[in-house]
Amino acid sequence: MLEKLEGIQSQGLESISSASDVDALEAVRKELTGKKSALQEVLKSLGGLDPDMRKSVGMKANEIKNLFSEKIQEREKELVAVASSVKGELDLTLPGTAVASGALHPITQMCYDLNDAFRSLGFEIYSEDDISSEKYAFDNLNFAADHPARASMDTYWLKGTEDKRGNDRLCLRPHLTGGSVRYLLQHGAPARFVYPGRVYRNETTDARHERAFFQYEALIVDKDISFSSGRVMIETILEKVFGRKVNVRMREGFFPFTEPGYEIDMECLLCGGKGCKACNQAGWIEVMPGGVIHPNVLRAANLDPDVWTGFYTNIGLDRLVMMRYGVDDVRLFHSADLRFLEQFK
Amino acid sequence: MNISMKFLERYIDLPKDISYDQIAYDLTMRTVEVEEVIKTADKFHDIVVGEIKEVKAHPNADALRICMTDVGEDEIKQIVCGGSNLTAGHKVCVSKPGAEVVWHGEGEPVVITESKLRGEKSYGMICGSEEVYLGDIIVPKDEKEIVDFTELGIECEVGQNVAEVMGLDDVILVVDNKSLSNRPDLWGHYGVAREFAAIYKLPFKELPENLPEGLPEYKVTIEEPDRCPRFTATKIDNVYVKESPQWMKTLITNAGMRPINALVDITNFVLMAVGQPQHAYDSTHVKGDEIVVRLAKDGEQLLLLDEKDLDLTSDHLVICDAEHPLNLAGIKGGKDDSVLDSTTSVILECAVFTAPGIRRTTAYFNEKTDAALRYEKGIDTQRANLGVNMALSLFKEIYPDCVISAFTDCYPVQTEKAVIDITQDFLDRRLGEVVERTEIEDILTRLGYEVDYDNGTYHCKAPTWRSTGDVSIHDDILGDIARIIGYEYFKKQPLGISFESSVNQVKVDLARKLKEYLAFRCGFNEIFTYPWVEEKYIHAAGISDEDTIKLATPPSPEQSMLRPSLIPGMLSAIVGNERYFDDFCIFESAQVFEPGEYHPSSDDETLPMHRNYLSGAAAGRDAAPLFYKIKGAIENMASYCHFEELTFAQNEKPKWVDEKAWLNIMSGSDKVGDIGLLSVVALNDAGVKNLKAAAFELDTDKITPYPSRTNAFKHLPLYPLVEQDLSILVDESVKWADIAGSIDKMVKELKFVEEYRGKQIPEGKKSIMLSYKIGNDDSTMTSKQIEKKMGAIVNVLQKKVGAELR
Repeated sequence: MLEKLEGIQSQGLESISSASDVDALEAVRKELTGKKSALQEVLKSLGGLDPDMRKSVGMKANEIKNLFSEKIQEREKELVAVASSVKGELDLTLPGTAVASGALHPITQMCYDLNDAFRSLGFEIYSEDDISSEKYAFDNLNFAADHPARASMDTYWLKGTEDKRGNDRLCLRPHLTGGSVRYLLQHGAPARFVYPGRVYRNETTDARHERAFFQYEALIVDKDISFSSGRVMIETILEKVFGRKVNVRMREGFFPFTEPGYEIDMECLLCGGKGCKACNQAGWIEVMPGGVIHPNVLRAANLDPDVWTGFYTNIGLDRLVMMRYGVDDVRLFHSADLRFLEQFK
Repeated sequence: MNISMKFLERYIDLPKDISYDQIAYDLTMRTVEVEEVIKTADKFHDIVVGEIKEVKAHPNADALRICMTDVGEDEIKQIVCGGSNLTAGHKVCVSKPGAEVVWHGEGEPVVITESKLRGEKSYGMICGSEEVYLGDIIVPKDEKEIVDFTELGIECEVGQNVAEVMGLDDVILVVDNKSLSNRPDLWGHYGVAREFAAIYKLPFKELPENLPEGLPEYKVTIEEPDRCPRFTATKIDNVYVKESPQWMKTLITNAGMRPINALVDITNFVLMAVGQPQHAYDSTHVKGDEIVVRLAKDGEQLLLLDEKDLDLTSDHLVICDAEHPLNLAGIKGGKDDSVLDSTTSVILECAVFTAPGIRRTTAYFNEKTDAALRYEKGIDTQRANLGVNMALSLFKEIYPDCVISAFTDCYPVQTEKAVIDITQDFLDRRLGEVVERTEIEDILTRLGYEVDYDNGTYHCKAPTWRSTGDVSIHDDILGDIARIIGYEYFKKQPLGISFESSVNQVKVDLARKLKEYLAFRCGFNEIFTYPWVEEKYIHAAGISDEDTIKLATPPSPEQSMLRPSLIPGMLSAIVGNERYFDDFCIFESAQVFEPGEYHPSSDDETLPMHRNYLSGAAAGRDAAPLFYKIKGAIENMASYCHFEELTFAQNEKPKWVDEKAWLNIMSGSDKVGDIGLLSVVALNDAGVKNLKAAAFELDTDKITPYPSRTNAFKHLPLYPLVEQDLSILVDESVKWADIAGSIDKMVKELKFVEEYRGKQIPEGKKSIMLSYKIGNDDSTMTSKQIEKKMGAIVNVLQKKVGAELR
């Protein structure tokens, strides 16, 4: 009988260690410890043995039973450690499941990046309507009465108003700056706000020129602030947008609505300022005009220029986005071509 | 404008240790952007002086000669040449191999190589003036004439570069005229030199301004002092048409003009030197020996130097003699009475015309001349002194025998110096740091201001050349100080952040949430289209012309209407993309316009109606799923974007929708938009070929964002819910809303799973699969309760919508 048990034990251990997966091991468990197992048969037959034998066989059988369940547990751990939920082969080179494929327009993305940056500096976001009047687009901004930008060669006037003047002559806004006076009339000073949007110029289009394009203008109005704060603001914003420090330079520029006015150039990111095709060998790229708000503009906004001052900066969004991605044709932005837009997920 | 460094040297000595690139940079930073730095000597590389040692006949060609020439290298070179004036012992112009020359002065440059001409070796080329860019300075008498420096009396060395010989080794700073619009004083080299003198703190060579004295008067009458505040006339006799001296031709060429003859060149030289236009009349043509500055009579005519025949009107100022117009004032001379080949005596006009009239007249006749460009920026009357003085000294230099026989200065209006006070306090505050008084006075004085400091205030008189509109307020003076110091030298001043109130703009946030929802949750791509839309798409969307705002000068005649809806743009984008894609979703957020009255800022300004619309479209092969895709996007929008719930109704059919598939989007009882399949007509008229599309349009001004999240937390169910799927057969006429409405009170949750029609389903019926959850609030449902509830649901469905179980 004990010999038989020896046989059961060695065979059993053999089956346990050769079980190749959890299911097979389960079958082995049934076979070795189930009601119909050989071990069970032995235990059932104990009654027919003499007491000494009964005792030693019983002990041995229980020993084997415990051993089996211990080994099964061990084996199970081993098998689970190398087990997989996958039945059969899994091709790991197949593409993953597609996600929702939509995207924001690259201009919108840049605009939101700038919004986040300006919001963090406490700026409000404002938007003016697309149609404006000569009063807000030109008169309020200190444009001379016969400034060429007022001509229909430059500005899209609305039919039926083109020969009128001031409030009654309406146009698709040629720049965002007119919105600054609207905001200030409504909210007063001090103020710090941005007003992104699309502007319109009657132009011949090519890879670098568009009739509709996007600007992003920021204005701070406060007491006793210096134009050199403007440079800090601009550096901060560009650093946020491009994710690294961008060198800028401020140089003399002229705009009717500023005094003094300046052009702000950023170091060309493609060549690092050494000069390349993208920057016309200059090492610098003109990204935004800016300047101290002209006293006449403050007056148009019912603000006293002896008390208040401020500065503008106006970022050409199209050009900034073109820099960001290396886009070489500004007309793609209005193409609605998904082959282009899908690249900016 | 081209700024010639050689020209500038006449008025300032720039330090030799500053590179031209640095000079260009400093001018860019402080005054005006230099767009390009051109080294004029570059194109003269390998073009040198050679001395002909011997001229021999060519064995194979009568028209060619063989010239043994010393070009300053180790050996004498053999050059074959067809020139008509080849003389042994003379110095000539030789293009060596590698030089770039222009054949006969026309076309693209060609690179010279060593070659053979009719069997004879030729090292390079002995050139005519036009072949080496000298045609304007050395005018050839005939086509075959080569440049003979010896004959011309031009001093030079063998091997010397020709650019250097001719003074053409200049550096030109190119400035866009547009960037000089506000600085009429910089339209001449004298003014630019003054800027450099201020930038580098160098002496500036001031020019004399005295006028001729003690001469007889020439009769001048100004009838329009508003248009012509000053007119000087100088009669100069005993002159004739000849070439200008070499130095003057060279400077004129370098500065970008062409030499013509000495009489004309003198006026052009003065123009480029001090920015003062002048004009010379043949004095024998000035009838009655008098000049009248008057408005033209309607119908009067004038033939200009460029052969343009003008029909004048009474808004055009003209310079006349006793009878006729001689000159379109300040713009261009008349052909008949300006300098002629036979001229021996001239009346030199040095006058000032005011900007508005010049601008109107140049625009009217489309005559953009160098003189007009300067006058239309506003020239001070005092500048005429510089002009007259410089012109007369040039006459004396170039025509030593000339006689100045009469002079008149008719000067009704003087440019006043702008008088402006600026305080040290204002400067300190706005500059953000303290600039010393000595520094301020130094900068302003160098720029021509007269400064008188008294107890914290600088009483400034701006120079006349800055007083024609450029400088008028103390901010202008601040600008001058800041730019000459250099913006880059001011310490950066950090901006304070005020914590008075938070920036809380729910409308702005909503606009962004909507876009992000559509792009990131719903998989739509954002597009931009123009506000002007092609008529075809406007009409395809069922919009009539009178409902649109129109442009006076549209990008094209078909694009004159501004969109009152975003649907036309959706149609055009579908047409554009269906060539490449057969399943896509797009959206656009933009303003639309329609006739109406709207006052965004003040009552005296009336704009057409603006609405902020959001529109989206789904295009694909199968119409019904597209409709549900759009419907789903709208249904879920409010909860994801946190605004008041949207519902659907069918009240008012939009023009662009399909007969069967459309709904109005409602917010409460207000219609805020529409959804629908695009109608077959719209698709056809727009030219959509293969695809179907559904779209929505939403007036985002009419939806109300929640100030914050509003949904309240709901406790998790304490007892398990039982989920059941159910397939029922109903008549086609039964709507989901009927099914849902009949049982939604009986269940905890109800979901539509699918709709099915097919072989197993009888005609006129459809199969609906739904799923619901039931449960008790206070206990776990027993199987008996579950069975009872399910039976009740089936009963209700049978009774209310005639449903049969499948």
